[in-house]
Amino acid sequence: MVLFVILCPIVAAILIMVGAPARKTALAASVLAFGATLFLIASFKQGQHDFQHVTSFTISPEWRLSFTTGIDGLSLVMVLLATIVTLAAVWFTGTIDKYENAFYACLLFISGGAIGAFASIDLFFFYAFHELALIPTFLLIGIWGSGNRVAAAWKITIYLAIGSFILLLGLILLYQSVPAVSRSFDIRTLTAAASLGQIAAEAQRHIYLLLLIGFGILISLFPFHTWAPEAYASAPAPAAMLHAGVLKKFGLYGLLRLAIPLLPEGARHWTNLLVVLLLGNIIYVGLVTIAQKRLDWMLGYSSVMHMGYIFLGIASATILGTTGAVVLIFAHGLSIALLFAIAGELRKQTGTLVFDELGGLAKVMPFAGLAFGFGVFAAIGLPGFANFAGEIMIFFGAFKNGWEMDRFHIFQIATALALWGVVISTVYMLRAYRKAFMGILNDRWNGLVDFRSGLRIPVALLVGALLCYGFFPQFFVRMVTPGFRTYLTVNKSR
Amino acid sequence: MITAPELEITVLVLGMVILMVEAFATNIDKRVLAFAAITGLAIVLLATFFVTPGASPSPTTGFWSFYTADRLSIFFKQFALVTTIFVLIMMTDYAPVVRSSFPGSTSQAGLGEFFALPIFTCVGLMYLVSAIDFVFIFVSLELVTISFYVLVSFTRRNPITLEAGIKYLVLSALSTAFLVYGIAWIFGVTGQTNLQRITEVLANPGTDRGAALLGMVFILVALGFKIAAVPFQIWVPDVYQGAPTPVTAYLSVGSKAAGFVVLLRVLQPFLALPQMQRLIVLIALLTLIYGNLAALPQANLKRLLAYSSIAHAGYLLIGVACFDGRAVSFYLAAYLLMTLLSFAVLIIVAQQTGEQISDFDGLAKRSPFLAFAMLIGMVSLAGVPFTAGFLGKFFIFYAALKQHQIALVVVGVITVGCGFYYYLKVVRAMYWQSTAKIDKIPVTGLSRLAISALIIATIWLGIFPQPVLDALQR
Amino acid sequence: MITLGDYLIVSGVLFSIGFAGVMLRRNLIIILMSLELMLNAANLSLVAFSRFRVDSTGLPNYNAQVFVFFIITVAAAEVAVGLAILVALFRARQTTDVKDISSLKF
Repeated sequence: MVLFVILCPIVAAILIMVGAPARKTALAASVLAFGATLFLIASFKQGQHDFQHVTSFTISPEWRLSFTTGIDGLSLVMVLLATIVTLAAVWFTGTIDKYENAFYACLLFISGGAIGAFASIDLFFFYAFHELALIPTFLLIGIWGSGNRVAAAWKITIYLAIGSFILLLGLILLYQSVPAVSRSFDIRTLTAAASLGQIAAEAQRHIYLLLLIGFGILISLFPFHTWAPEAYASAPAPAAMLHAGVLKKFGLYGLLRLAIPLLPEGARHWTNLLVVLLLGNIIYVGLVTIAQKRLDWMLGYSSVMHMGYIFLGIASATILGTTGAVVLIFAHGLSIALLFAIAGELRKQTGTLVFDELGGLAKVMPFAGLAFGFGVFAAIGLPGFANFAGEIMIFFGAFKNGWEMDRFHIFQIATALALWGVVISTVYMLRAYRKAFMGILNDRWNGLVDFRSGLRIPVALLVGALLCYGFFPQFFVRMVTPGFRTYLTVNKSR
Repeated sequence: MITAPELEITVLVLGMVILMVEAFATNIDKRVLAFAAITGLAIVLLATFFVTPGASPSPTTGFWSFYTADRLSIFFKQFALVTTIFVLIMMTDYAPVVRSSFPGSTSQAGLGEFFALPIFTCVGLMYLVSAIDFVFIFVSLELVTISFYVLVSFTRRNPITLEAGIKYLVLSALSTAFLVYGIAWIFGVTGQTNLQRITEVLANPGTDRGAALLGMVFILVALGFKIAAVPFQIWVPDVYQGAPTPVTAYLSVGSKAAGFVVLLRVLQPFLALPQMQRLIVLIALLTLIYGNLAALPQANLKRLLAYSSIAHAGYLLIGVACFDGRAVSFYLAAYLLMTLLSFAVLIIVAQQTGEQISDFDGLAKRSPFLAFAMLIGMVSLAGVPFTAGFLGKFFIFYAALKQHQIALVVVGVITVGCGFYYYLKVVRAMYWQSTAKIDKIPVTGLSRLAISALIIATIWLGIFPQPVLDALQR
Repeated sequence: MITLGDYLIVSGVLFSIGFAGVMLRRNLIIILMSLELMLNAANLSLVAFSRFRVDSTGLPNYNAQVFVFFIITVAAAEVAVGLAILVALFRARQTTDVKDISSLKF
């Protein structure tokens, strides 16, 4: 079943490339993938931390390399996020003027790569699937992008390529650091080796740093974040939705999956560095976001800024904090996809996203205004939306700090500063909402039409998911926590 | 039962027969010869799978003292045969260009030899990968090199080609001289030409290692020319650009592979000397940096591929510096597929428009098949997962990290980033740019088949490396 | 008495002269001649090493001398092809000077 979810978009993409009708095939594939994921959730056995639905094909017995897929609570949440956003993005796409088939194929490749990465238990395929999205992203921004698309496409591609090769080095070192008998790319084997303390502390520090830089580039951790706003501003809306909403979460997923369970010593060693960098994300990038004059750039920067909170949750090494990070990953993925979708539609209709030229659009586009409002409130973290649950959990978790509970430590300062980040994001989000949708309507925009019904469905899907999740976060929390509980208590007891 | 030496003899006889038919049957379509050669080589390729690999029965005397049929050699014999088959297919596509360079004479002039010579090169390559004696290495290397002299300057009415031919001739002959001089010194120290006996003598602490090292450095210079390592790479861009394109493909795959196999074999006796490793690490670093940086501004695709071939020599040298023969061999296999793929597309497109990267503008509209093939080739050269090129880099970096070669790894990762830029430049031209030309580009059935086979093989090897790894198991 | 060292010095000098010729001279025919000189320098060392390395039976090590025959043969083939290319070049460009053949540039 897991395999079906992975293969759905990829097979559909190949079919589209050889000439199947683009939109129909893509929609069918993403609906199928979404349905299959819902089925997975229904059949998911709560309270277990083992992987379920495991299927495995041996690729290379010599390297103990096998194509193994399976899900636990964490990856199931990520797969669900990926399939929801894929469905929304594909539905939202509509008709494309040039190379329509290629556009849909690229979208589906990105989605398939992300789903594959989330559902792979084998590190090699975990890595490889993520890279599957690299070239489609390059093409999406390059061919169908807007603004300074050439520079943006080069920047994102080179950044991500170098980031992922650094990540690859970290993964190879991780593979080499366990004793030869238990050497494997299988996360379960590695976790077992790590819980026996077979990964030396010295090696952990090196590997964690490599993983932090590698994943950090992919997640746009400060100071490696400069590719992100530019790329998201230039990318066509569906691509930005998928990339900011899903693909960027790959790095966070990787940190949660590898860094904390496998390398606790490394994580402890580099905590201070990570805290400083993530404050850079929250405070510095937050202030930069306020200064933005265009909606697409603002959204790009805001997505970089919100990564800071998630990092804070991961760095806290408490069950509360890491669970909060997962909740926020999911919530942020949905809300940023929603915002990018609306911004993309605005750009298509008005041709500009500069704040000073917009204004009062809610009068002519009430549905868009409402949906954007939902997105903005979610991004700020208003109660009722999942983002709120995630942020609260992260702040409480981080304030406690899993490494040394009793003393005063850097996390308390960091949490206090990060709380100011909420104020910052309120400022820029509400300002954007006011400038774009409130105020006096410019006469130029009198002719604008609201979202047609074809666009309302994906938007409603995202909003619905956000609200649903916001009111019942407990459902997901219960899926995710067992896994973390095992890791974090094991780390404690050593 | 087939034995390994029979393979080479069969190919040699095939080459002779084709040359004879070419000389005496004047009225046939010369492309028939190419098809005959392809069929013959394919049969030999099939036969290689029935040869039982094994070390020489008597490694110190007689025939088996200079010829081995171990797994590595059988693998590279298949490698040479596959390369030659694909090059011959490309040559049939390239035939109109060859014909046009012999104006005034009959329409078939020169084609027969053009198809026959690669077979002799192939024999040379096949002998070379089996050679374990310096005399045999020298003779088979020269068989390869001299047939390349002719092939490189084959379209001799084209002054660019002729210039490439001269440059290749002079620098290759120079490297031969270094090789011979180096062999002389090693012989002087050890009194042996057989590699295994040289190993035994060098292990003896009484041997004058300094002089042996001097000899080895000379040999390294010579092989550096063959594999296009910095600072012996100067001929590569000019010759690659000037030579007929199928020959360029052959040079960059066959000649380089042969150079690396010989390098792996002759380094074996010198592993005990620590200076050797440091020297190779240095050469690898220089090659990586030079190849990748110089490739960045190129606008001519053939020249870009020349610099990329230097860059790949750098990655391969990382493997050599870590003495990981399997990683190097796997990388070469991946390199074979992706390079031949890129050249196969280049030959077809270049006849329609040209060799500049800008001539590929809008290829995705004019021929989606060729554009996709080139995309796979470029992406694999850059090293994206699910292609052979990525696994090649993976094994190389694995070996380097295992040996703690931090400098090599750091430079390697940075240059991979450069690689993404210049390979994707081609992708960009094909997919982003638009063009005024809208006519479709015709692809013959045989080429379509060959290109499809290469695409599938590139992706297949990127997902299932185990068959190739098994073939390389010692 | 002439020793092995003397032969090696002569051979080294010949090799260096040949190398200098390839690097410095501009005429292609002279470059080809210099290449021959380098090959023959190697031949000279091989024969000298072979002559001065007497095995237990009192005979020189003939391996190297056989190798020299191979080198002479291969060098002849190389020069044959090389001169053919040179003739073709001369027909096309009316020159054998390397300065005049530089249309391929970075």
